[in-house]
Amino acid sequence: MNAVTSILHTLEPHPFQLLNTEKILELLPRPVLVVGSDGLVVYANKASEVSFGAFPGGAVHALFTGLGTDLPDTSCAPVSVTSIHSGESFDAAFVSFDDGQYLVDLRPASQNQGIALKTDVDELTGLAKRNALLSHLSSALSNGSKSSSIAVHCLDLDRFKMVNDTLGHATGDLLLKKVADRLKAACRKSDVVARLGGDEFVILQHDVDDLAAAEKLASRIVDLVGRTYVLNGHTINIGASVGVAFGADALQPDDLLRNGDLALYEAKKAGRGRYRMFESGMDALLLGRREMEIDLRRALALKQFKLNYQPFLDVSTKRVDGFEALLRWEHPVKGNIPPLSFISLAEENGLIVKIGEWVLRTACLEAMSWPNDMIVAVNVSPLQFKADTLLETVASALRHSGLPAHRLEIEITEGALLDDTDNVIQTLNAMRALGVRISMDDFGTGYSSLSYLQKFPFNKLKIDRSFVACDDADSEAILRSIASLGTSLGMSITAEGVETAEQLARIRGERCTHVQGYLTGRPMGTDQIPAFLAQHIL
Amino acid sequence: MDNSLYRLVYYSRNQIGDDGAAFSSNVDEILAKSRVNNLRDEITGALLFNAGCFAQVLEGPLERVEAAFERIQQDERHGEVSLLAVDPISHRYFPNWAMGFIGTSEAHAKRFADVGSSSGFDPSRLSGEQIHTLLRDLAIEEEAA
Repeated sequence: MNAVTSILHTLEPHPFQLLNTEKILELLPRPVLVVGSDGLVVYANKASEVSFGAFPGGAVHALFTGLGTDLPDTSCAPVSVTSIHSGESFDAAFVSFDDGQYLVDLRPASQNQGIALKTDVDELTGLAKRNALLSHLSSALSNGSKSSSIAVHCLDLDRFKMVNDTLGHATGDLLLKKVADRLKAACRKSDVVARLGGDEFVILQHDVDDLAAAEKLASRIVDLVGRTYVLNGHTINIGASVGVAFGADALQPDDLLRNGDLALYEAKKAGRGRYRMFESGMDALLLGRREMEIDLRRALALKQFKLNYQPFLDVSTKRVDGFEALLRWEHPVKGNIPPLSFISLAEENGLIVKIGEWVLRTACLEAMSWPNDMIVAVNVSPLQFKADTLLETVASALRHSGLPAHRLEIEITEGALLDDTDNVIQTLNAMRALGVRISMDDFGTGYSSLSYLQKFPFNKLKIDRSFVACDDADSEAILRSIASLGTSLGMSITAEGVETAEQLARIRGERCTHVQGYLTGRPMGTDQIPAFLAQHIL
Repeated sequence: MDNSLYRLVYYSRNQIGDDGAAFSSNVDEILAKSRVNNLRDEITGALLFNAGCFAQVLEGPLERVEAAFERIQQDERHGEVSLLAVDPISHRYFPNWAMGFIGTSEAHAKRFADVGSSSGFDPSRLSGEQIHTLLRDLAIEEEAA
């Protein structure tokens, strides 16, 4: 027996007319009213008595709030009403009879919300989720003249991952709840606070009169969320970075959120624990970086990199000692891109490790074609030390090229020694054990920490060009003291950026042992080196 | 749920400012609210205040103390909260919830004298434990800051 025949079977003994319409309406668990054209209740079913205290003869307007003085036109959408008797909310639909009477069908509002709640509310924090936020955003943006009076605040927690890692996810979740509470406390009731996942929150701020109103909320968020938390007896300190973007007429919700995210990216880049307002240049900037990153990833395979070499000379013998390898990127459309414009990007996305490896191998190979015992100096980024493969790469570059180790000089900056100093020094020692020379580049511009000079006996100190370019007494004094410090530690001293004969005379007087700059030789291709060496006299 | 006895000590910069009436009415409101909340939450301790800062010792079940501190953190009438201690204690050092003006301003001392006496504020209680003494001295320093 299937379901349909079962019902027929049950109904068979009872004549159908026993279930008259009034009986059905009485049994219906939701309220139904019939209202006369005079606004008085003609019929009220059992459920409407319970929910509204409705009875025939009573005025329909006395039953619920939310109804206009006239009964709504039947064509209009259901009206939200609240029962004065029970406080429950209903969606009221009106159906008119021919004689001017109305049927009022009342559907509990919570039934609809119940379904929405499950998908739109974040279980952990009780905040809105992405879908709910998007629908709030689109209704705010489609509100015509008012679209410029909303702002979104995109927010990330600083150091949240560390809390999760050290105190566990349960504590992390508790913390997210407290952050949600603080965000709600910082906002007005009419604002929407959403959690998009992880430690990512978005606030939709309404009625933003001016820039100052949005800035006020953003700085309040940074302040409140950044205050110390106490959880299960643990003291927890995190911070908040916030990116703020304003609504505008043509914007879609996704665009607005993207603008907020761009501003957030800038806030984090500026050092976290702060807010940034979106500016129209930010998207172009990031787009430009994205494009460059895509190009940079291909540049190696497409053989767009090239090495140029700038000579350095021994001041006393006036002979060329070797050449520093300088990376060039010959972009097919943008032309030559200087290292300053792409090295930081390559360090950010880790490409520097591959590029650095190519530089090492290429420099060693090309140096093999040079006459005499010319040294090739190669710059190594701090990131290459972190990759843990540097020593292996150096050894393999020497092996494959056949370059004697004493002809390779590795140039590092102080940045390499900042983190994990012991490991870096271990790598430096291992490279030296291979016979490779090690020099310290750009000395004088960073921390210029003397303890680094003590921790590792560099072969050479390279004094930054800024001290050579200035001919004031201070620069001269600095140049002189670095040079005498280095020589007394047994290091060679190279003055960089020497462009004029006067500068050369000066650095010679300050005990610099080596010189590098346009005066003594511009960067050149490897094929030009034999000719350069043949004619060069200092 | 951890309901063992804890003590939380902090001090913070008062952001109400010292313009007479506003300061007084804000302090009155804060005191009235904390009196009700702390009685309900079985929290004892001391609240010291002056025109420069708030300084508090909160003693009670850990969960209640944390909730009270979270309420305090969400209050924008102060900022730069320095949390000096959160630690378990074997017994309460303060018999009730007391608060009082502490500092050198005679006008404020007079204005808030009854607050101290009606809540049973006893400055000598602050000299028993090192952290309490430290808090009292900090509060006095912050008055002028």
